[in-house]
Amino acid sequence: MKDLMAERTVDTQKLKISARNVQVYYGDTHAIKDVNVDIEDKTVTAFIGPSGCGKSTFLRCINRMNDTIDVCRVQGDIMIDGEDIYDKRVDPVQLRAKVGMVFQKPNPFPKSIYDNVAYGPRIHGLAKNKADLDDIVERALRRGAIWNEVKDRLDAPGTGLSGGQQQRLCIARAVATEPEVLLMDEPCSALDPIATAQVEELIDELRQNYSVVIVTHSMQQAARVSQKTAFFHLGNLVEYGETGTIFTNPTDPRTESYITGRIG
Amino acid sequence: MTDMTSDTPHVHGTLLQADARTRKRNAAETRFKFYGILAIAVGLLMLVILLFNIVSRGTGAFTQTFVTLDVALVEDKLDKSGNRNIEEMKKVSTFGYAPLLKAAMTDMVEKTGMEGQISAADMAGILSKGAPAQLRDYVLANPDKVGQQVSFNFLASSRVDGYMKGRVSRESIANDKSISAEQLDFVDKLIEQGILKKKFNLSFITGADASDARPEAAGMGVAMLGSFFMMLVVLVLALPIGVAASIYLEEFAPKNWITDIIEVNISNLAAVPSIVFGILGLAVFINYMHLPTSAPLVGGLVLTLMTLPTIIISTRASLKAVPPSIRDAALGVGASKMQSVFHHVLPLAAPGILTGTIIGLAQALGETAPLLLIGMVGFIASNPPDGIASGLLAPNSAMPAQIYEWAKRADPAFYERAWGGIIILLVFLLAMNTIAVILRRRFERRW
Ligand SMILES: Nc1ncnc2c1ncn2[C@@H]1O[C@H](COP(=O)(O)OP(=O)(O)OP(=O)(O)O)[C@@H](O)[C@H]1O
Ligand SMILES: [Mg+2]
Repeated sequence: MKDLMAERTVDTQKLKISARNVQVYYGDTHAIKDVNVDIEDKTVTAFIGPSGCGKSTFLRCINRMNDTIDVCRVQGDIMIDGEDIYDKRVDPVQLRAKVGMVFQKPNPFPKSIYDNVAYGPRIHGLAKNKADLDDIVERALRRGAIWNEVKDRLDAPGTGLSGGQQQRLCIARAVATEPEVLLMDEPCSALDPIATAQVEELIDELRQNYSVVIVTHSMQQAARVSQKTAFFHLGNLVEYGETGTIFTNPTDPRTESYITGRIG
Repeated sequence: MTDMTSDTPHVHGTLLQADARTRKRNAAETRFKFYGILAIAVGLLMLVILLFNIVSRGTGAFTQTFVTLDVALVEDKLDKSGNRNIEEMKKVSTFGYAPLLKAAMTDMVEKTGMEGQISAADMAGILSKGAPAQLRDYVLANPDKVGQQVSFNFLASSRVDGYMKGRVSRESIANDKSISAEQLDFVDKLIEQGILKKKFNLSFITGADASDARPEAAGMGVAMLGSFFMMLVVLVLALPIGVAASIYLEEFAPKNWITDIIEVNISNLAAVPSIVFGILGLAVFINYMHLPTSAPLVGGLVLTLMTLPTIIISTRASLKAVPPSIRDAALGVGASKMQSVFHHVLPLAAPGILTGTIIGLAQALGETAPLLLIGMVGFIASNPPDGIASGLLAPNSAMPAQIYEWAKRADPAFYERAWGGIIILLVFLLAMNTIAVILRRRFERRW
């Protein structure tokens, strides 16, 4: 694992997201406890930790998807490019165009492949005309590494694709709206090793343009794709740092036992 | 680990023969399957009996006995001035037409060589009492035919029709003043001559209701229009209100005790007996808002109240059935709540909403009790509405109300029409359900 990491160049980037004293409650459950984290631009950041520790919850804070859960309350500040996204003036709908999300289970719309990708650009008015939209769709599908497989059947239903293809379609759909941050909640948990490898390759490419945050249960995956890793445990952010350091030389005993498979 | 645990492992017997437990289990399963088949058979049997009854009793209403007569439209009697002025011709009432019919009948008796076998009054009794009116309507519609000889198909009276259909026999007319044995003899002759025939009667489907004296002329047509206008009101009001309410409750409303109470009340509303909606309609729409009685508009409003809970419940169920991941997906690419609902959730829920709506409409179509209270029963719907306004506001009946009305009348000729009406109603319900299925298929094909 060490060799793998050694090849990775970690260039220090400017700050994209910074969270300060974030608390999340589901009714009386305190799901996220006082989390502070700085996420860099053009970097893949992995969230790891045992099940139920709050990775998804924290991820969903970044694009305010938690707003849709009635019982959920978020406290503290989350800044993207220095702007507090929980400010009263911020419209979550506008925020979500800037912070895209890929969900754990592939969830293409029950529409054609084309419409799946074109939907975001359409509602955000990103295309001036049909040709423009065609362009955007093609570019997004290429970035989603699925263009070659679907270019002849853009009118076919997106739900008719295989699981891995669906997930890549969802990634294409997310990048089509030109977000600046891409949140991925266990994007490979429903995929076979080949599709996983494709998605991982894709994530690595996406790093050129986006700040990617990925939740994963696979240490290997975190080690393969990320430059920064955050370890969550029982709602706390236990340790955050260079992926190489976290995996080879963790400072917190909890991180070490999780990575070596003793807690989880 | 080399020696086994001390207690002996369980040894299974041969698999080639079922053991007692398995046999018992399988027997129970077989018994259950038998009960299930029995239950289905009972249900099917009921259905077959029901359909057989309806069809065997109701099909008679779709045929009617007609008498073919050549009538001389004498100018002297119908248009004295001879200038075919409609206003003047209208002054001749149906009484003025009766002599023409009498002459035509006498003529026919002479031609067929049956003089002296029947009196003039008995002769007229063969025809429906509506025959002169039919003649008059024809003449007023075709004034240029005056002075010519025209062949007509007149409805036979309901007793003659009953004789043709086996409802009336020589024994059964013993105490019947409406028809005599001589008339039946005469009818037999007319049948022989081919002058009197049973034919398909379109006007049962398209025609208006008739008074007690002329069951042979009564039709469902006007009541059908009444039902149509009521359904129009229900569709226009209940669908948008129901769908909007459901979408709000399901997708936007916060989950708190207020929405809980609303939810419970909607479910309760669905269980409220329809007559309660009827009395509510009477109190609110007629007594308070002074809308006209017997009007399809009021009927439609009452049925809307009744149908709303059905539509809301089925719409909410189909909205609930749309996987939340679709909503997340839409919100995730930056769609607003409303966009996610209208672009993604609603199209997926549409087949269910549609089915619920059509089932609600079908229920409303067959509903009689509330119509009783707002005066749509007992009204003799004899004039078809001539536009949307009069269709909504002019007094009318509705299909189930018409059926109830016919079943209530003493004359067995009306009883037959009630069964015929039920066939028409069932055909409509069947058609609506078929449309529901077809629309559903079509929508589902768009995934
Ligand atoms: N919608 C919700 N309502 C109430 N509690 C919730 C909700 N979602 C999550 N929680 C609680 O918040 C805590 C964190 O959940 P979260 O889904 O963020 O965990 P996770 O780290 O993503 O776990 P996993 O790896 O299994 O996906 C858990 O204790 C969970 O029970
Ligand atoms: Mg999770």
